[in-house]
Amino acid sequence: MKAKKDRVYKEEPSLPSLVPAWLAALLSAIIPGLGQSLGRAIKRGIIIFGSFASLVGLLIWRFRIAAPRDTGIVDIVLKAFRLQPVFIVIAVFFGLMYIWNIVDAYQVSKAAGKPDKRKPVIVFALILIVFFLIGWQIGKIDLYGFVTQFDDSFPILKQVLWPWEKAISYPTEEVIGTAELGYPCTDSPPPQSEPREEKPYLIADPTCGTPTLEEVGKNPETDEWERMVTPGTVIHVEGFNFDPDQEVEIWWRDSAGRFYIHRDLETDTNLKVMPDEDGYFEVDLVWPFPIGDTIRTNVQGVAEWQLQGKQISRIGTWEISEELELAFVLMIETIFIGMMATFFGVILSVPVSFLAARNLMSANAFTLGIYYFVRFILNVIRSIEPLIWAILAIIIVGLGPFAGILALTVHSIAALGKLYSEAIESIDPGPIEAVQATGANWFQIVMFGVVPQIIPPFVSFTIYRWDINIRMSTIIGIVGGGGIGYILVQWIRNWKYQEAGIAVWFIAITVAVLDYVSAEIRERFV
Amino acid sequence: MLEIRNLTKIYEDGTKALDNVSFSVPDGEFLVVIGLSGSGKSTLLRCINRLIDPTDGEIIWNGEDLAKLQGEDLRKARRKIGMVFQHFNLVERSTVLTNLLTGRLGYAKTWPTMLHRFSKADRDKAWATLARMGIEDQAHKLARELSGGQQQRVGISRALMQDPELMLADEPVASLDPVLAHSILQHLENLNKEDELTIICSLHYLDLVQRYSTSVIGLREGHLVYQGTKKEIQKMTDDEFKTIYGEEAVRISDTSLEGSVGEVVEE
Ligand SMILES: Nc1ncnc2c1ncn2[C@@H]1O[C@H](COP(=O)(O)OP(=O)(O)O)[C@@H](O)[C@H]1O
Ligand SMILES: [Mg+2]
Repeated sequence: MKAKKDRVYKEEPSLPSLVPAWLAALLSAIIPGLGQSLGRAIKRGIIIFGSFASLVGLLIWRFRIAAPRDTGIVDIVLKAFRLQPVFIVIAVFFGLMYIWNIVDAYQVSKAAGKPDKRKPVIVFALILIVFFLIGWQIGKIDLYGFVTQFDDSFPILKQVLWPWEKAISYPTEEVIGTAELGYPCTDSPPPQSEPREEKPYLIADPTCGTPTLEEVGKNPETDEWERMVTPGTVIHVEGFNFDPDQEVEIWWRDSAGRFYIHRDLETDTNLKVMPDEDGYFEVDLVWPFPIGDTIRTNVQGVAEWQLQGKQISRIGTWEISEELELAFVLMIETIFIGMMATFFGVILSVPVSFLAARNLMSANAFTLGIYYFVRFILNVIRSIEPLIWAILAIIIVGLGPFAGILALTVHSIAALGKLYSEAIESIDPGPIEAVQATGANWFQIVMFGVVPQIIPPFVSFTIYRWDINIRMSTIIGIVGGGGIGYILVQWIRNWKYQEAGIAVWFIAITVAVLDYVSAEIRERFV
Repeated sequence: MLEIRNLTKIYEDGTKALDNVSFSVPDGEFLVVIGLSGSGKSTLLRCINRLIDPTDGEIIWNGEDLAKLQGEDLRKARRKIGMVFQHFNLVERSTVLTNLLTGRLGYAKTWPTMLHRFSKADRDKAWATLARMGIEDQAHKLARELSGGQQQRVGISRALMQDPELMLADEPVASLDPVLAHSILQHLENLNKEDELTIICSLHYLDLVQRYSTSVIGLREGHLVYQGTKKEIQKMTDDEFKTIYGEEAVRISDTSLEGSVGEVVEE
């Protein structure tokens, strides 16, 4: 009953308004909140004024950013409306807020001096809405983009979510099948390749002909100098004994020993042919032109060319990919960073926690001073994120896991120091008194009265912290503090999304396992 | 024989909790201390085993002034004084057995106990005590898993482990319902009668006082305001009781039906 009464809105209830209601409304129209203040609702007036002032400031800033090249209020506003319709909504609500502020001023000063006052619900609701809308605009919240781009990013997301193709790799070997060609054709063109067992080879038909030739000469019709291209012989190529389902690249070796890959002129890409399940393919190729002028000929005056089918083929069975191994090794490093930080954190925070426990430190002014000092330091350390501590640690000890350990240790000392000290503060003096009454000495009192009371919360907090430290150590690498985070960002920056996906999976699995284990242990102990 | 002479306790904040209190307790007595909440009962009991240092006065027990003891001598004296508390004061996260063995700490060597090692004799004694109090089957449970009545039996057992010659019980039944209250007080009565253990116990309810005490003292604002034998207390009416004790005094049987025993005199 009493508590309810206290909650009724009161603000200097008995005094009448300093100005008539209409004047209050007018004043609030000029300076929002002024009417309310004079209507004896000073706090309400100040809050309304503060809200208006900051909202106007924010709006000027956002409108200017939205239309940076325009001058003149009207131009800026119209441009902003056009570019970002959310500004229209903001403006509407701002207007409503302004009008309601005037109404509110009128009502407040009218009701001043009377017992029952109006609560400022509507005007504050409107202020909140405008803040919310500006936040929407500042935050560049774009649900439409979120939904549409989600589709586009799906292939990448898929790589991240299911990265396991990159988890294994195969040792590879380049296998080549060849066929000999001669230019020009003579009575004895190069023989067909001998069929080989198991090993790939090419059969070309014909085995002689002319490369694509390019000449600059006079066009007899137009009598002008032109570049004239004579397409080379079309050679039908059959490949045998290639690895099924592995792309084959076609290469040419000219008489001077230069290699070039066959380009598919239609798509302007390197030609790749796919053998069938028997390792067979066939393709028609136009003999390309040699690059450069050097033509070497053999004694018969024939330039010897060679056609090559190259395939990168898997040999042997799969093995763990380098990336998987790296992710695994770094995950272990990560776990140990978290573990070592927890270890040092526990050792150092236990003594600190005694200094930060009020029940132990309130003996005199000096110890109480230490208590406040330690508490203050702990709060400051705790309020600085481990990532920032890592950056500081890197300055001192350089990149690597030690920096991460230092950073997490510092943060752990502060966090655990506080939790431990609270556990100490909540010790029940009753059992201690009882142990003392049995004639036990100091050591026995501590061992039997104090330790059983603080061990369970200490263990619980320690495991909780261990859990947090390992989570933290997964990202501390982002700034260079060692562990898997480092390689994760590297991979993301290099668009290696599958590799990054492996790291993400490792982190997720580790954290999930840890979560379960720590919950389980804590349940046992407490 | 315990003799309290001119005992005074002034707390650091200036509260005078005991003012020149003198009385004596012959061996084998079941002395009940009555008095309102805040009258100084707990202070008196805690002064006897020196959980609180008295400001002035003497506590002569077996020819020794407990008020003057320090260090090792004090611990030796404490071993012989068991104490039972209103809120049991068990180490809740330790097992019942460990709580009992705690009662032997004063006798055991320090370093073995640091490793929770107790002699065979101590362990046997613990089991025997558990059996005597009827809580053998609870031995390996954590103390906090027990009901209130069971916890108080552990509390008494722990005190018994000390082989006490004197037992202090500070409102041992104030946190229990009437049935349990009787059961716990019967345990104390047995100890008093069978083992001839001297008991000093603070209580609230006239019928409990009449039923169990062999003599009674009354405290009011730190002063000793009443001393009576069993006979005198038997003849006492509720009205007389109230004049010593205060208006709140009630019989436990009056309140038991409403089930609000613990709240009658709040602690
Ligand atoms: N540690 C303490 N410091 C200061 N005053 C105390 C302390 N303990 C008890 N008192 C005061 O001493 C008086 C007697 O308390 P107590 O012995 O607990 O009474 P009872 O056990 O009869 O309820 C009370 O006024 C109480 O407030
Ligand atoms: Mg008390």
